[in-house]
Amino acid sequence: MGRILIVDDTLFMRTLLKNILFSGGHDIVGEAGDGDEAIAKYRELKPDLVTMDIVMPKVNGIDALKEIRAINPGARVVMCTAVGQEQMVKLAIKTGAKGYIVKPFQAPKVLEEIHNVLSS
Amino acid sequence: MALVPVKIEKDGKWVVGKVDLQPDSLDVVEPFKTSIPYKSVIDIEEKKNVLIVTVKGDPPATYRVASVEKVLQAMKRFIVKSCSAYRLMAYFMSPAVRGGVMVTNATWEKGAIAVLKTTLWFVSQNKQVSVALKEVTSMELSKKEVQKKQVDVLKIDHMENTDVVTSYILCPLSTLQILINFLKDATKDLEVTGQELDPVAAQVGMLVYSGMDSPAIEKMLNIPYRNLDEIYEKLLKLGMAEVTQVRREIQLTPKGVRFITESVKPPTQ
Repeated sequence: MGRILIVDDTLFMRTLLKNILFSGGHDIVGEAGDGDEAIAKYRELKPDLVTMDIVMPKVNGIDALKEIRAINPGARVVMCTAVGQEQMVKLAIKTGAKGYIVKPFQAPKVLEEIHNVLSS
Repeated sequence: MALVPVKIEKDGKWVVGKVDLQPDSLDVVEPFKTSIPYKSVIDIEEKKNVLIVTVKGDPPATYRVASVEKVLQAMKRFIVKSCSAYRLMAYFMSPAVRGGVMVTNATWEKGAIAVLKTTLWFVSQNKQVSVALKEVTSMELSKKEVQKKQVDVLKIDHMENTDVVTSYILCPLSTLQILINFLKDATKDLEVTGQELDPVAAQVGMLVYSGMDSPAIEKMLNIPYRNLDEIYEKLLKLGMAEVTQVRREIQLTPKGVRFITESVKPPTQ
């Protein structure tokens, strides 16, 4: 089970992910609504894993991922984005994302992916 | 060619039998004798370990055959390659996404796509995937990077048991367009405009999709059960959902209250 930081600009998606991850026994250590906040909270909370939305105001998820990887090259970040933006997969994985979730998602699969990334 | 053991439905009962997989026909040897030329097959469905083979005729005849996976695979490969269907050579990737999570070892398979009455089949040397048309939730032409080039693909979202799965088909654009038109026509009953639900009902739909139960949805959206039930009713009426279970809320009668009160009393000496 991991300490997880959830990053998404919509409260609804953050709450949904929080519920799913909590039901899987994970500890939600923080939430962020944009890339800037995500970077600050990553420094402060040092979570085991970050779920990161891609399209967000101010700093987007890819740039936030780059910053987080600069802080900790071993950071585990799972990217999370909407259907139709799958072309971002390569860029995110090239940048160092450890996993990828496409919205809408199903709870058991999300938990499986998070478990795999945390075990890697 | 190969005599294999199966179970076959006869007069509504499953009986042990044998079929012979010939190059051009599936010959039932036991418990009755009949030859099913692959070309006469107009539909083939797969439900768990049962193949439902429909043969043209007036009325069409249906055979239900169950066997081990290896035998069924051989049967599927023979039938799908030669049956009466819209068929094309293509590359396919299935599943590419399962439940919103990218399948990391997904690869392009070279094979045939066969569109039958109720099912879309992907068949390659190593893999056979069937997608029931009634389980297709969406389809669209999309772009995907293959060998550093953006190519046109058909993206199909479909249900596989309770998982939502995404598969891709890669072939020339003109063929993809024929395929998407055919599939759109076959699944026109499932068409939605996206305007059927108000924002709260759409959020409820999203939460159900994600696997949340009623108490979790009430808590997350901060809505009373009565309102949630009305939204469920709307989803049911629109054919977007089905009832899986009905839970009851109860309150104790005086007898129940008495039992609880008695049960917490310390035991008498």
